[in-house]
Amino acid sequence: MSFIHLRTTSAYSFKYGTTQPCDLVERAAEFEMPALALTDRDSFAGTIRFAKSCLEMGIAPIIGINLQIDLINSESVGIKSDRKNFPRITILAGSDGGYRHLMHLYRGITFASGDRIPVLTMDVLERFAQHSSQLYLLHGPESPVSEAIALHRSDLALEIFNKTRPFFADHAIECVSHLVGGNGPRSTAHAARSLVFAREHDIPAVITNAVRMRDRIDGPVADILDCARQLVPLDRRHLERRNGEAFLKDSNEMHRLAAEIAQAAGEGSPRLLLKTTREWAERSLLSPQRDIGLGDVHLPEADVVGAANAADMRRLLRERSEAGLHWRYTDSNRIRIARARLDDELATVATLGFESYFLTVADITDMARDKGIRVAARGSGAGSLICHLLGISGVDPIEHGLLMERFCSPLRRALPDIDIDVESARRLEIYDAVFARYGSPSFKSPNAISRCATVSMVEKYRARHAIRDAGAALGLPAVEIDLLAKSMPHIRAANIEAALASLPELKSLNTSAPLMAMTIAMAQRLDGLPRHLAMHPCAIALSDATLLDRAPLQINAGGYPMLEFDKDDVEDIGLLKLDVLGVRMQSAIAHAVEEIRRTADPDFDIDTVPLDDPATYKLIQSTQTLGLFQIESPGQRELIGKLQPRTFNDLVIDISLFRPGPVKSDMIRPFLNARGGFTEPQLIHPTLAPILAETEGVVVFHEQVIAIISVMTGISLAAADEKRRALGSKEGQQEVCDWFFPAATMRGYKLSTITTIWEVLRAFASFGFCKAHAAAFALPTYQSAWLKTHYPAAFISGVLTHDPGMYPKRLMIDEARQIGVPLAPLDINASLPDYRVEGTGDTPAIRIALSAVSGASAHEIESITAGQPYIDLADFYRRSGAAAPTIETLILTGAFDSVHRDQSINHRDLLLHLADLQKTSAPALSGAQMSLGLAPPLLQPSGLPAMSSAEKMSNELSRLGMDLSEHILSPYAEFLNAIGATRSCDLLKARSNSTVLVAGVKVALQSPPVRSGKRVLFLSLDDGYGCSDATFFPDVLEARTGEYAQTLYATSLFLVRGATRRTGERGISLRATGVWDLRSAYQEWNLKKGSVAI
Amino acid sequence: MASEVIPAGEVLIDGPTTPIEFTFKGRRFRIHAVLSRWCESGGWWNRVSDGKYRPDDQARALWRVEAAPIGALTTFQLERDEATGQWIVTTI
Repeated sequence: MSFIHLRTTSAYSFKYGTTQPCDLVERAAEFEMPALALTDRDSFAGTIRFAKSCLEMGIAPIIGINLQIDLINSESVGIKSDRKNFPRITILAGSDGGYRHLMHLYRGITFASGDRIPVLTMDVLERFAQHSSQLYLLHGPESPVSEAIALHRSDLALEIFNKTRPFFADHAIECVSHLVGGNGPRSTAHAARSLVFAREHDIPAVITNAVRMRDRIDGPVADILDCARQLVPLDRRHLERRNGEAFLKDSNEMHRLAAEIAQAAGEGSPRLLLKTTREWAERSLLSPQRDIGLGDVHLPEADVVGAANAADMRRLLRERSEAGLHWRYTDSNRIRIARARLDDELATVATLGFESYFLTVADITDMARDKGIRVAARGSGAGSLICHLLGISGVDPIEHGLLMERFCSPLRRALPDIDIDVESARRLEIYDAVFARYGSPSFKSPNAISRCATVSMVEKYRARHAIRDAGAALGLPAVEIDLLAKSMPHIRAANIEAALASLPELKSLNTSAPLMAMTIAMAQRLDGLPRHLAMHPCAIALSDATLLDRAPLQINAGGYPMLEFDKDDVEDIGLLKLDVLGVRMQSAIAHAVEEIRRTADPDFDIDTVPLDDPATYKLIQSTQTLGLFQIESPGQRELIGKLQPRTFNDLVIDISLFRPGPVKSDMIRPFLNARGGFTEPQLIHPTLAPILAETEGVVVFHEQVIAIISVMTGISLAAADEKRRALGSKEGQQEVCDWFFPAATMRGYKLSTITTIWEVLRAFASFGFCKAHAAAFALPTYQSAWLKTHYPAAFISGVLTHDPGMYPKRLMIDEARQIGVPLAPLDINASLPDYRVEGTGDTPAIRIALSAVSGASAHEIESITAGQPYIDLADFYRRSGAAAPTIETLILTGAFDSVHRDQSINHRDLLLHLADLQKTSAPALSGAQMSLGLAPPLLQPSGLPAMSSAEKMSNELSRLGMDLSEHILSPYAEFLNAIGATRSCDLLKARSNSTVLVAGVKVALQSPPVRSGKRVLFLSLDDGYGCSDATFFPDVLEARTGEYAQTLYATSLFLVRGATRRTGERGISLRATGVWDLRSAYQEWNLKKGSVAI
Repeated sequence: MASEVIPAGEVLIDGPTTPIEFTFKGRRFRIHAVLSRWCESGGWWNRVSDGKYRPDDQARALWRVEAAPIGALTTFQLERDEATGQWIVTTI
């Protein structure tokens, strides 16, 4: 009879287990074992993966957990408790509903333990007795009972055993022999003594192998993990392992062990030991579907979403969607079209039974909107009209040709995936609202019911961490670990050696030195092992009331209840997973809207502005897109310059094209050529013309692939989407190919046409983009462009406050200056924590925020604002609560200029005055000191010279990170004129392929992947007149033994020589032929006045 | 305690590795009872400096047995090097 292992730890015993659950299951299946237990240490994170493998391999899962136990007065029974770790026991879930009780008990333990390693205490056992009484307890070699047996204290062992006896359904002594020498735990002698103890006291005894590895050779990995967990170097005393026996042994080996243990215990045969083990396994067998819930769908119940029952939910969804028809559409023809589509979508939803899904998501977006938080769906959800009508998504799917089938289809049982973008600054408010509505008021209670929790994310060993942990364990010098780890790109640990071969900077490192070689070899062995469970940055899972019955919960560092299941797990057990992503641009837009309502138009609503505003597209076409969502990068500005978007759909296309796939496969060129009228759009077949017209015959969107397949073969869009998904894999492609050719031939297409189309489908399957996703992104892009066009001061205030983009703030300041938005300086009385619009006339200004002061704490800023207004520096010093460095910054950046208007007093005088104030007054409140007769020091002109404008600008740069009073390049104006440098705004006037000089401060230096694979650097400069982009090709980078390349990395102010290259109507870039440090060039010029040879 | 190294072939085994008979000091012994058996390995990290990457070398299986040549019953320890298959017999 085959053996069943009751104790197996996988790699989801973080930094302890060495083997992925699927590998353990596969091995057990090879051994023809009918079942396998997973009893990870302190975690259920591997449960779903394990159960899925079991289902696949056709063996039954058994689920348990290995936990620390604190018997409180263990000292009184003679076991010393001054140790870091408590002894451990193992709890198994029984077949009849035990899994549910195990989840509840575990929640009790984790919530009582907080963010420490969970410890089972007597207190939790007592409070959660209703759950523990349904579970089975194993006293293994790490248990307190076993420790007492090792001490030859049978009496003590019984006493300890009896402490937990009232709380569990059944108890067994676990006999484990790892064939360790001597007679301590894990030796045959100890296993035998445990068996004798069990027999003497009539306690069931089972045999397990306390499995930690799949094979003997995994031993060193276990050792490294022991060290990584305890942060110690490799040394016998830190390691659990004495040999390689804790692996998944086959039935014969286990029977032999049982025989040896039984014999050593004086039993003639191992029969009873093996029989009890089998019985314990058989009553703990779980069904992956019924018990663990694979393949179920659990959505919030009807009454939670405001309906009486399932049928009523259907009515409610229809009612709410129909109400949306009149909110979204006014034109009666449109309403008619929309209603027809709505009927189709509702029918699909009814087939799937997903009404609750839509109602729940709508409920959450409604909650956000009620709180005044901006919210927008992203992803394929925008393809559903229901989502649009319920206010989940802002994009009209009919207008933009988006498909419901891409999102949710009767042919796919899987729950669709909705991501919502919210204001980043208020993201957690939504979490709180969701928990208030769907969570439990008391997660610590044994009877808690919750319908939501956050989701976790498994962090696995990749190259860097693997090198660090392996190196530290092996005692590789810290410097070498650091060098090696930092040089690693973000790759899998398994690829370290391959990466080393391709990294020239590591040539100097002797990676074949024994210790180094061993570190690398061991690091590769750690590949993909889970090392930590973290909270997913944005996912929330929602379910019906059974959530806590079916999923393990812990409380994470952020204070939110978190499932120990990750996104895939959550999907596998049919929970509604909602990604709530914080998007800074949404916060910036919200800030801008607030400022517009405050200063210009109290009823302003950005969500109702028309999507066809010519002024907005004019701004986008001008490539003055700094600060805009998605289209501000140098590469996007170049693409925008060529593409010249005229409609919202153009923006959608632009966003879809600007990705590595299309760039690499050269999809963009045929599109732009046709778009620019240089070539005729390719027309493969007239029936496809309507599908491909919007993209000039080029396949860009998933939606187009779906439509082509549907049109050419006559299958439904939903079925076509299944075919599209199949195209993602090699085997799938072959299957679709075998089907597509005959299917299209039947519909009368010529073989040549079919072949051409097939090639297109095959090639673009991996690059196509979900149009719904692009359209959802294009909306905030358009909105940001609209705001920048019509309310630039409000928009830039929002951008400066929430910093959504890729560029430094000083560039947005410069942008404001260029588009004529006045900048109001920092002012102790006028500045607020955030950037604000000041003045309501034609040219409102942006008031610089107190938050710009680098080093000022949030608390200081709050205190300064609370004390406003101030009379003078002395008053500010006494009342504002600001620290001296902050006050200095405020002085030097002119924040006191409005209260010290006297021309004879300059910034230096104020600094001296501040020093006097610090000397005379101990930090205390003003009034008290006055009465003590301490006169405040006088503010007098010192006669020191006032600061020059260059000094002032340099102070602004160093203390605020931005040049407010003038552009950073202003001091070089004379030099740049003298050498004939071109302003960036004049570049377009230059003839193509003429050599020019441009200067500027570095905005970005990027080394993106390009088709050829060679290293190319893109430098973006700002010269106060806009941005210019220069490309450095390898010939230039390698010229003069890399001098130019070094310059690019060494400074931030540049003078670039290059040849112009027109890239479109509004697009121009430089092919650089040289680059110099602007400062040194200027100095040289100053010395020689005009005779620099460039 | 006396030790002697014996080549793999000199020890008669049952199943994969369990010893039954062995030669010690020129005499053939038969094992009458296994008193205990255990396994040892580890310390691989101490042998890194020889430049060879053998993560789990020096795995050893040990038996403490009662064995006798003709007539006499003596306690021996038998150790088998898992890598080379070589045996070490030690009298206790």
